Amino acid sequence: MSEQINGGLGVRRLHARFGRQEVLRGIDLDVAAGETLVLFGTSGAGKTVLLRAIAGLEPAATGEIHVAGRDVSVLGPEARDIGMAFQNFALYPHMTARENIASPLRARHYDATEIERRVTAMASLLRIGHVLGQPPRALSNGQKQRTALARALVAEPKLLLLDDPLRNVDAKLRYEMRLELPRLLRRAGAATIYVTQDYREAMALGDRIAVLREGRIAQIGPPETIYDAPCDVAVARLFGDPPLNLLPCRVQPEGGRLRVEAAGLRLLLDARVAAGAECLLGLRPEAMALTREATEGASAAQVVAITPLHERFVLLLRTADGVEIVASTTGQPPAAGSQVWVGAMVAGALLFEADSGRIIARRAAPEVCAA
Amino acid sequence: MERHDGWFRALRAMALTLVLLFFLFPIFWILLMSFQNNEQILRLPPSLVFRPSLGNYIALISGKLQTSAGVLDITFLHNLWNSVLLSTCSVALSLLLGVPAAYAFARFRFRLGEDIAFTLLSFRFAPPLLVLLPLSLYFQDLGLSNTYFGLIWVYQLICLPLILWIVRGYFEDASPDVEYAYRIDGHSWWRAFTRIAIPLAGPGIAAAALLSFIFAWNNFVFALILASADKQPVTVGALAFVTASGIQYGQIAAAIVLSILPTLALALYAQRWLVEGLSLGAVKG
Amino acid sequence: MSSVLQDHSAALRRRPRLTAWLPYLLSLPALLVCVGILVPFITAAWYSLQRYNLAMPMTRGFIWFGQYIDLFTDPDFWNTVQVSAIYTIATVGIELLLGLGIALLLRERSRFNNLVSVALLLPLMTAPAIASLMWKLMTNPNFGVLSWLISLLGVHDFRWASDPRTAMFTVVLVDVWVYTPFMMILLLAGLRSLPPQPFEAARLDGVPARFVFFRITLPMLTPYLVTATLFRLLDSIQQFDIIYAMTQGGPGDSLMVFQVRAYLEFFQYTNVGTSAALMMVLWAITYALSNVFVKQWLKLRERAHGTA
Repeated sequence: MSEQINGGLGVRRLHARFGRQEVLRGIDLDVAAGETLVLFGTSGAGKTVLLRAIAGLEPAATGEIHVAGRDVSVLGPEARDIGMAFQNFALYPHMTARENIASPLRARHYDATEIERRVTAMASLLRIGHVLGQPPRALSNGQKQRTALARALVAEPKLLLLDDPLRNVDAKLRYEMRLELPRLLRRAGAATIYVTQDYREAMALGDRIAVLREGRIAQIGPPETIYDAPCDVAVARLFGDPPLNLLPCRVQPEGGRLRVEAAGLRLLLDARVAAGAECLLGLRPEAMALTREATEGASAAQVVAITPLHERFVLLLRTADGVEIVASTTGQPPAAGSQVWVGAMVAGALLFEADSGRIIARRAAPEVCAA
Repeated sequence: MERHDGWFRALRAMALTLVLLFFLFPIFWILLMSFQNNEQILRLPPSLVFRPSLGNYIALISGKLQTSAGVLDITFLHNLWNSVLLSTCSVALSLLLGVPAAYAFARFRFRLGEDIAFTLLSFRFAPPLLVLLPLSLYFQDLGLSNTYFGLIWVYQLICLPLILWIVRGYFEDASPDVEYAYRIDGHSWWRAFTRIAIPLAGPGIAAAALLSFIFAWNNFVFALILASADKQPVTVGALAFVTASGIQYGQIAAAIVLSILPTLALALYAQRWLVEGLSLGAVKG
Repeated sequence: MSSVLQDHSAALRRRPRLTAWLPYLLSLPALLVCVGILVPFITAAWYSLQRYNLAMPMTRGFIWFGQYIDLFTDPDFWNTVQVSAIYTIATVGIELLLGLGIALLLRERSRFNNLVSVALLLPLMTAPAIASLMWKLMTNPNFGVLSWLISLLGVHDFRWASDPRTAMFTVVLVDVWVYTPFMMILLLAGLRSLPPQPFEAARLDGVPARFVFFRITLPMLTPYLVTATLFRLLDSIQQFDIIYAMTQGGPGDSLMVFQVRAYLEFFQYTNVGTSAALMMVLWAITYALSNVFVKQWLKLRERAHGTA
């Protein structure tokens, strides 16, 4: 990790401790200007504390924070040049939407006409121009959310912190905003940290994703890497709906490759591991191959249940020796109760050490784990 | 949950009538007396029908009391003014001291924080004379006895706990995120406090101020011990007035009416918050 | 454009964080007032260990607990304890029962009930010292309307506060008049905040009213009853205004409660030491009570505000 800090955000050795409990245990993070980093993790992982520490709202935090090349570690939140959107919107209830959005501009001493121009422009961009005169209590949840975003964006801060801004809006609006946000964020050009608990949102919005676990960054990388090459079982399970199948397996080196057998499935993987090691085979539901006839390496299974999910069908299968496997398919699914053959696509197969849960690196795969 | 048969209703109506009679009759009767002259007051049996006169009030306001022994100067209006001055200034000072402290106790966990808060609360329940008697000796040494300044300082014993604990509740009820958002916008801590935190706790602050005004106005013992006639509020002044005016009962009644009118009016205005104030913020109405 | 932007974000002044100091800074003024009050408190404790009479400065001296020993062997002191106890128990007891009764009568939320409850608050908003004067006028032997009413009942020569036999009754009456609304309003708020489900269920099951009251209403109301009662106990045991304004502790020493007696010791007999010792005894009682009270009070407060 280089000590050079770019035009965006640089976080170094960030710690936070509440009494005995260490909430952040040394976070190092860089977000380039114009980049969106999604901060992802289960609740209690420290996402909100990290965000508040970067904003300067967490007195318990120690470490260095640089925004646009400026060390802001000892500065209050008002001097860090950031915009932030809160989960609960945090609009000022005694001001109109217009005054809410104008607040960062007033703090920066813009003159009245410039404030009016910018607020109007930002409001029309977010399609809330018609409610600018209303107080927050008169706005719908969607309008509140857009007002909060407008307030965060309007002063063109160097750093944007978005704390799960879509959590409290309904599904339709969340879908709309997920399409709209990348455009807005690209236009803003700021380094952006986006906190979410929804892996789809993370995959859709993040240039990179940082997975936070127990106060540490477990893995950081582009969405595809996190999905295709998670650093351990826990990260792998966080992404994907339904989550991946984890099958205990036997491994046997065979001609420079590795023969893997689990629940009647047989695969040849490009990986190296000691013979007889305890391993887990991770197979994403969409990486399962279903056929009606017997195929090489496949296992016979019965379709137990079928559930439609978005544009796909999720199938629960049970193999002859009673192992349950989840598969998903976009095509016409086989009928419930029918017999199928289930195999796995080699490209989508992940192999983990059984006791540590760490991934067993495939040959030619890059080092993916941060720690 | 209740049986609404005729007997029950009749009993309930009778009970309520008795209750209202007991609690409101004294105020009503004193009000009547304040419009009567001594002759009318002394007539037995008392009569509800009489020719009301404003004589008592005129005497109080003009400060000249006609007695059999001649014209007596009365300072009751000055007492009234003292009450206004003492209560208003005490509440103002209390707000100045109490609102920032309430905010600190609501927003920050800090060493000594709870200790200070509870010490201030305990003032509300400590016997006032415990502090007042030694204080009267100190005040003589410090030159504070019989000064408005000294009285206003001691009145903090009544106003400060009330304001601190009610306002603290309101600050606790407001989400800190709204203030954080304002600071992130680029506003200083002070502006977030004055432009966001205080306006949002506004109703609570107003309620606490009104209530502590009432309690300061109604206080008796502080001024009894620490003030002489020229600085005394109506509560003490009225007592002295009774002794001075002898048998001018109508004027006493008028003085009583003038003394309790401001607090009763404020109480009616602030009744929505009375429960909260009376319980120091523990029960919401 | 970008130069304008630079310019404006520079308006966000560099300013070191003062978070660590801020809470102290904010509570410092209140703290100073605290200290200002704590000094006389400590002085009082100090005085209580001295022989100290303002009229006889030469005799001043440190006598350890001699003062307390004198006090505890003095029948006047025990008279004070007795009078205070009777006054406190009588007022709080009557106010509790009466206040609960009125609260139950006004329990349902209706325009009329709300109006009545507001009207009943007026005595509570009357300064207690002034309330005493009002009752003094009404119980005047010459023209007092209450004296006249009681004579209609055939009781002549009822001399209210000027008779040692009825003085206690009279001041308790005034206290009840002033403070019953306090009980009423707190218990009413409590009653109205109770969840309706148990009462609806009881009504559907046809549970008798008495059973509902003793087995549902009272247990659920207990936190409010305890808090309101402790609150009143703390105030009542320290009552000064009503008694002083009515009789200054007389006739004789029939109404010589703690604070009135301490006041007279101080100002009439200039006996600072005795007065301070009396107040320390009262303080010990109220301190113990207030510790119990604060626990109950905090529970209610948490219920009203989420976290304390």
